[in-house]
Amino acid sequence: MNRNEIIEKTTAIFHEIFKDDTIVLRDDMTAADVENWDSLTHMLMITRVEEVFGIKFKLKELNKLKMVGDLISTIEVKLS
Amino acid sequence: MELNSITFVIFFAVVFLLYYLFHRKGKVQNIVLLVASYFFYGYVNWKILPIIILMTLFFYFAGIQIGKCNEKGDEKGCSNWTRFTIIIGLLPLLYFKYFAFFVSSFAELFVSLGFNADVPTLRIILPLGISFYTFRLLSYAIEVNQEGMSAEKNILDFATYVAFFPSLLAGPIDRPNVFLPQIKENRVADYDNLVVGLKRFVWGWFMKVCIADRMATFIDPVVANYGTTNSSTLLLIVLLYPLQMYTDFCGYSNMAIGISRMLGIVQAENFKRPFFALNIAEFWRRWHMSLTTWLTDYVYTPLAFSFRRIGKWGLMLAITINMVIIGFWHGADWSFGFFGLYQALLYIPLVIKGKVATGGTIQWKSNLIPLKDLMKMAITYLLFAVGMVFSRADTITDGFAILKGLFIDWGMPHPGELMNWFIFVSCLFVLFIKEWLEESESKMVFWRNNKPVAVVTLVIALVVLIFVLRGSAPKEFIYMQF
Repeated sequence: MNRNEIIEKTTAIFHEIFKDDTIVLRDDMTAADVENWDSLTHMLMITRVEEVFGIKFKLKELNKLKMVGDLISTIEVKLS
Repeated sequence: MELNSITFVIFFAVVFLLYYLFHRKGKVQNIVLLVASYFFYGYVNWKILPIIILMTLFFYFAGIQIGKCNEKGDEKGCSNWTRFTIIIGLLPLLYFKYFAFFVSSFAELFVSLGFNADVPTLRIILPLGISFYTFRLLSYAIEVNQEGMSAEKNILDFATYVAFFPSLLAGPIDRPNVFLPQIKENRVADYDNLVVGLKRFVWGWFMKVCIADRMATFIDPVVANYGTTNSSTLLLIVLLYPLQMYTDFCGYSNMAIGISRMLGIVQAENFKRPFFALNIAEFWRRWHMSLTTWLTDYVYTPLAFSFRRIGKWGLMLAITINMVIIGFWHGADWSFGFFGLYQALLYIPLVIKGKVATGGTIQWKSNLIPLKDLMKMAITYLLFAVGMVFSRADTITDGFAILKGLFIDWGMPHPGELMNWFIFVSCLFVLFIKEWLEESESKMVFWRNNKPVAVVTLVIALVVLIFVLRGSAPKEFIYMQF
């Protein structure tokens, strides 16, 4: 799966979890840029990402995710 | 030595002068801070000094070990060292704060099961500030483990972070990766830092002396004799106690943050006008923030991560454990645990509706609060006030007795000294207006004016009010006991 496909699928997850179909993902996007993105919805989003891509995160990896670009790159590494 | 005492003002004046005398030597500035911090702590009770020094040394060396494991990519070693550090680091807190509670709880359990358990009452004195500096130390070990920062090699800087006197006794709980970089450079006296810090300090002093202490003279005696108090007076207590707690602790936090700012160090915030929150989730995002964000990062997130496969139930379980820990952090008693559990229950409808992150803030209409939002504010306040009864009562039974007492004996309230009421209600009104203007982002905030004339006028006015309106004797900060 290439980066664009990952972004496409992740965008759909963001629309579903944060209940906003207008979200367009950017690499530098953070929780502050998305309404409804807090510590609770964050975990729901991570769980959905794991289900959709069939991957598993470690807590340490989760703590290093500072922006959307980090999330996409981590998924990319895990799928490769 | 309390932050609201004249002794402290003299102490701080000496530290301030020495600190900026060495503005070209950051290292000497940190020596001044560390010596001042240990003097400040030792002044309270010199016998508790070795505890903080030994804990600082232990975490310093443990941090270096965790850092070494990280550099080698030895994940297992890293986790083992971190677990070991956390367990050893928690032992003093568990002993001093919770051991007597564990013993008495087990003894009660045995007695209730019909066994004879004649256990003497343990009297262990809690070293001041231990809950706060233990959490600072734990966050350091966890951050180094999670590679949120490198291990600190400079023991002077590390010890200064742990013992930093403005926040040593009752927070805010600063994070090492935010605090330490600020003391690496020389700090020169900066006009903005000085005036912003001075205003925060004096405003915090005003909140403590003119509101919290004044409210305490009404609330404390009534709570001590709640069994003989009529319902209307108890209702006043239940409604006012959150405000007393807020003005006491936010007042303290403002003083600590203000002192720190005058020394050129920006500390973590503790409050963001919590009574403007429209639901309990938003309320806890604004109340004792340095503790709640600490627990969110180091307790809630790992728990929610572990429970993530069970969806919203996992979130609720993580929230419940988190809130019960918040309760017990405040004190070793079942009533504090119950306080936490009650707060967690208030989250359940929000989690089910998926509204934890939304709907918590006011939709301002030209600096006015819409009626619907005003109602939500009031409901959130009332829900929190009911919970606070259990954090104030000695036991869960006492808490329920106070709530039951609200419906038994109605009559005219006994307000105590009317002048006292006049003073704290007037000052609460000033506080409310200030927070309203800040929350609605009004441009009319005189507070933000940092021109010399405005600052001097404001500070002199507040200091005059403090000395005219203060009660007979300064009272301890409530959060010191936690």
